[in-house]
Amino acid sequence: MLARRMQPMAFQARRLYVELMFQVMGNALQAISEIDSTVREEAKSLPEGFLFEMMVMPNGAKLIIEHLGEGRFRYHRGQAPRPVDLSIKFKHIAHAFLVLSFQEKTSVAFANDRMLVDGDISYAIRMTRVLNRLEAFILPRLIAERAIKEYPKNLHLPEKVLNAARIYLKVATQFVETVVA
Amino acid sequence: MTNKYYEFFCPVKVIAGKAALEHIPYELSGLGAQRPMIITDKGVRAAGLLEPVVAACEESDLEIVCIYDDVPPDSSTGVVRDIAKVYRSEKCDSIIAVGGGSAIDTAKAVNILVSEGGDDISEYAGAGVLKRALKPFFVVPTTAGTGSEVTAVAVIADTEKSVKLPFTSSFLLPNAAIIDPRMTLTLPPHITAATAMDAMTHATEAFTCMAKNPLSDAYATAAVKKISSSLLSVMDNPKDADGRLELAQASTMAGIAFSNSMVGLVHALGHATGAICHLPHGLCMSLYLPYVLEYNLESIRAPLSDLLLYLEGPEAYAATPANRRAEASIAAIRRLRDALYKHCKLPRTLKETGKVDESQLDAIAALALDDGSIMFNPREASLEDAQAILRKAWA
Repeated sequence: MLARRMQPMAFQARRLYVELMFQVMGNALQAISEIDSTVREEAKSLPEGFLFEMMVMPNGAKLIIEHLGEGRFRYHRGQAPRPVDLSIKFKHIAHAFLVLSFQEKTSVAFANDRMLVDGDISYAIRMTRVLNRLEAFILPRLIAERAIKEYPKNLHLPEKVLNAARIYLKVATQFVETVVA
Repeated sequence: MTNKYYEFFCPVKVIAGKAALEHIPYELSGLGAQRPMIITDKGVRAAGLLEPVVAACEESDLEIVCIYDDVPPDSSTGVVRDIAKVYRSEKCDSIIAVGGGSAIDTAKAVNILVSEGGDDISEYAGAGVLKRALKPFFVVPTTAGTGSEVTAVAVIADTEKSVKLPFTSSFLLPNAAIIDPRMTLTLPPHITAATAMDAMTHATEAFTCMAKNPLSDAYATAAVKKISSSLLSVMDNPKDADGRLELAQASTMAGIAFSNSMVGLVHALGHATGAICHLPHGLCMSLYLPYVLEYNLESIRAPLSDLLLYLEGPEAYAATPANRRAEASIAAIRRLRDALYKHCKLPRTLKETGKVDESQLDAIAALALDDGSIMFNPREASLEDAQAILRKAWA
């Protein structure tokens, strides 16, 4: 009985968590593209103005990123300015929660058919590598190992801590700017 | 509770064995179709493979309304549009694809246009665009390797934009796949070998990559067993109809396995090599399979160990210490490749193909990293990893 009463609150908490994680990831993707040359190198081959979306079907939370050129991203809050070029769609918010709460790796979620790719698959692979690198930086190693297929062998603690601090600082700044605006 | 989850789907009716072609009229009539169009290529027609299909239909008073036999090896949007035009002008009501991967993919794309309308197949590119069943569609494979008769994918080149358009939908699956040993009896030895190794790779990757599941495992292991036990005997005796049927069934089973559990790095490297060096797909699979298994070894030791039973049989499996079975599986695949080299000079290294330059390896590695198959490989392959595998496969 109690569990049934608690269920709507649990669903609401899950929805808010997914929305918050998309916001953090969107801001963090913009930040990492400003500070990490490996990510910029990965992103460079995306067309300028390329719009990437991650969303929960059918009309749930979403994050939208634009490639500005030279490997730099901009996080779009709200709606995409035009139709997106690549969309990775979670079939259900429960699946998005599994991935964003690091219970299921992104690659495992693909293998488990939790997500659909709408767009050029090679760009989806590239964006997945960018997301993996972001997670390797911003998550503690133990959690990052649950989120990505393989923790990068050449990512050492000083580089990780320094870059994570810079990413979190930029994310916090962007959040403050959003609130002030 | 475990997070383990999988999906498995294969609604294709498999019609296999002696006189299977003669079931086509009955099966088509069951779907209300009376005016089929055959889509094939010049090679199939020249090999005389259309005659038994046409004869089987005519004997049952089913008229083949028209035959389009000009499908090129890499089909394009223009070819699809032209065939759809013929289909409409002849008032056909169903499609029979007779051939290998290209004829089958082309027929799938034609089926989209004639069912959904329009002339521009690119409008239907992508995943999940189709929302309803298409026209009755049968596939008669003439090679034993691609498994296209049971996959929900087609790839068509848009020559104007120089891109390959992928189409993914369960509605692309044919209503029936007709596996008749007559259709593969005259396959030349090197094509028999390369296509069988394609099927072997489909099964092996389906069994060892990330999306493996209990149902696809059953198909994959059965396919590996059939190929291991029949391929060399067919190479010795190409007219062995029973052996040919075993290989054809193995190809279909491997197709069912990999269309439900995907493939991995062998395919990523193979697709890139095909695009850059224009090597046949089956040959690329045979080239890279042992090297990628070695690279993935510590991530796939358990399933690769299990595979030894199907590759070498119960006696060899029992006689091999448990901690050496994975390596023994790779050795068995290497021995099979050596035997095929002896039979028909099927290359074992990139150098042996004579069509790849060592300077192309870095470009192949870079392209492979963006291939969709790499997502399902159990290890996260970096550019350096791909380059190292290619160097090993070079010579």
